[in-house]
Amino acid sequence: MDIEACLRKDYITNQVNDGKRLDGRKFDEYRDMEIEKDYVGEKACGSALVRLGDTRILVGISLNVGEPYPDAPESGVMTISTELRPIASPNFETGPPGGEAIEVARVVDRGIRESNAIETEKLFIEENKVWIVFVDIHALDHGGNLIDASGVAAIAALVNTRMPKYEDDQVIRGEWKGKLPVKCTPVPCTSVKIGDNILIDPSMDEEYAMDARLTVTTTDMMNAMQKGGQGTLKEEDILSAVDLSFEKGKEIRKVIESL
Amino acid sequence: MAKDDVELIKNGKRLDGRKFDDLRKIKIEVGVLKRAVGSAYVEWGKNKVMAGVYGPRELHPKYLRDPTKAHLRCIYNLAPFSVEDRKRPGPDRRSVEISKVSAEALSSVVMLEKYPNAGIDVFIEVLQADAGTRCVGLTAASVALADAGIPMRDLVPACAAGKVSGEIVLDLMKEEDNLGECDLPLAIIPRKKEIVLLQMDGKLTKDEFKKACGLAVDGAMKVYEMQKEALLSSINNVRIEE
Amino acid sequence: MLHVKNGEAVIPGQLLGEKIWHGINCFHEGDNVFSSTQGIVRVEKDRVKIIPSAGGYIPKEGDLVIGVITEILTGRWVVDIRSPCLCALRGEEVTRDPLTTDLSKYFKAGDVISAKISYVDEVNSCQLTGPWKLDGGIIIDVNAKRVPRVVGKKRSMLNIIKDKTGCKIVVGQNGWIWIKDNKVKLAIKTIRKIEREAQTRGLTNRITEMLDKEADG
Repeated sequence: MDIEACLRKDYITNQVNDGKRLDGRKFDEYRDMEIEKDYVGEKACGSALVRLGDTRILVGISLNVGEPYPDAPESGVMTISTELRPIASPNFETGPPGGEAIEVARVVDRGIRESNAIETEKLFIEENKVWIVFVDIHALDHGGNLIDASGVAAIAALVNTRMPKYEDDQVIRGEWKGKLPVKCTPVPCTSVKIGDNILIDPSMDEEYAMDARLTVTTTDMMNAMQKGGQGTLKEEDILSAVDLSFEKGKEIRKVIESL
Repeated sequence: MAKDDVELIKNGKRLDGRKFDDLRKIKIEVGVLKRAVGSAYVEWGKNKVMAGVYGPRELHPKYLRDPTKAHLRCIYNLAPFSVEDRKRPGPDRRSVEISKVSAEALSSVVMLEKYPNAGIDVFIEVLQADAGTRCVGLTAASVALADAGIPMRDLVPACAAGKVSGEIVLDLMKEEDNLGECDLPLAIIPRKKEIVLLQMDGKLTKDEFKKACGLAVDGAMKVYEMQKEALLSSINNVRIEE
Repeated sequence: MLHVKNGEAVIPGQLLGEKIWHGINCFHEGDNVFSSTQGIVRVEKDRVKIIPSAGGYIPKEGDLVIGVITEILTGRWVVDIRSPCLCALRGEEVTRDPLTTDLSKYFKAGDVISAKISYVDEVNSCQLTGPWKLDGGIIIDVNAKRVPRVVGKKRSMLNIIKDKTGCKIVVGQNGWIWIKDNKVKLAIKTIRKIEREAQTRGLTNRITEMLDKEADG
């Protein structure tokens, strides 16, 4: 049983039904977002720290040389994993990733993969040798809306990733040659439904109170969606969440691209 | 093992210009995380480490509960991107060992008897690693414990010494750790200068060990002053904030 | 011989003095007295103690706390009071015959109650008395060590907040505070300010000023 949910859920729900949010935001307003690129800039090929309200996510990018998938022998490979470290919340535990962590990783993965953000065909080295891009999402503080913070941190890190030098069949660590080819900036935006209201960027308390959640990842079109939570969504809820996601995605994309 | 093409010591100076008994640059921040009860962030050369404390809280699994005292757990974790060659996520033998010796070092100062049956969790997240991470982690962890208001007999500063190109030096950086002859991390209780963590690998004579140990203890005392300063200013910051 | 001044900040393990009397959050080895917790030094006559600046709640008999019912057992409830201890509310508190009554009629899992701690044993397990269900409202958590500041001397601070915001407020010593009706957001803002500035001087005046300014707005 989640003790914290018992403390504030009802109040949050009543407030939202009165048109108010506890932190004074409008329903279509994000919390303050800060993106710090190259947060761990000495070892990792790329990295970014995102602070979204109290949420703090660090994403690091590592590049290795490995084998391509048999069905795409001339393309590089991207894999995304999420670790919800126990430092980030009293409810996270050590051990292999659970459902929540895997969902975050897969939703972020779909947005980046389906928008073809990484030009994987440029990651081909020679037969049976391609670059493998590891995207590691590391949650440090959980203040709600992990998906958006993770997705923004991931793409912000990828946009600023350096390619390691590759010579004589070897990766030269610590020396760089060019940047990872990234051609667009998919941004996930998550809305929740509380009562009959759609709110963007839920805080921790609002996640306790939500009925359902919808993440929409956009570039100039929609690239991925994910519904979460036990409640239901009507078609009009989904459409207004989509509109909101396009609008907010555009604003966030501008910030990422200007880094 | 020193390779010929890297000169670790030149004209009495080390690769990064330090003298034999110089520490790398250290920055300690207190209370950096919202959810954790206490937290600290330490930058130490190129190392970047975050520590968070949860508890005292109910301990699971139940068989670990001790009606005479609290159980202190420590999890040391290297982020996959903290090293140049990506580290596979999840615990490996090295991090399990470091977790164990760190927990033991911290247990020696925390007044566990105040919280029977409870658990205190210390999480050390290494975000960027450049040799000496267990010392950085422990330094951060004891500051985080103090920030969590957990009663302790003292802080636990840590520092390493080692042997590089035949010289005993303080606080090894990555290149020195890789190519040097010996690494000796230790942690102390500053008040008594007693040692609560000690590991060694490499080759040292007894005299060299004595010298290295003394150097590391002096280094740890300098670290202690920085811990103290960071904690005191965090308490005072709360007071003057308006 | 005292080495620290009243009001000075100290860290765990810091030497406070030799051959002196000491109160809470201190310990001694031989003649030397040290602090065990980080916080602020208070010197009262010849005795030194530390007011901790952080830390969790340890149950004390007579404290009013706020808790969440987590489980219904035979004849009693299990209550989470944000402390690493087992805390029980006996069925006898609400009914004569707790063993055959359906206790969920009174409190269900997830209900929030306020109650007094009637008994604490040597491993910090405790029992509650006088349960009261807190319906509606919101519960915020503050640092348990700052609760005395939120309440103030003879409840002075709490009365000011209640007065100016018109809220019903129940302060649990365990750091959970229940707030209902009227200007809840202002009450939360005020309590957060008190929590942040707990160790500053002239806090009561600043809080009154702030409330006067914002209560009209």
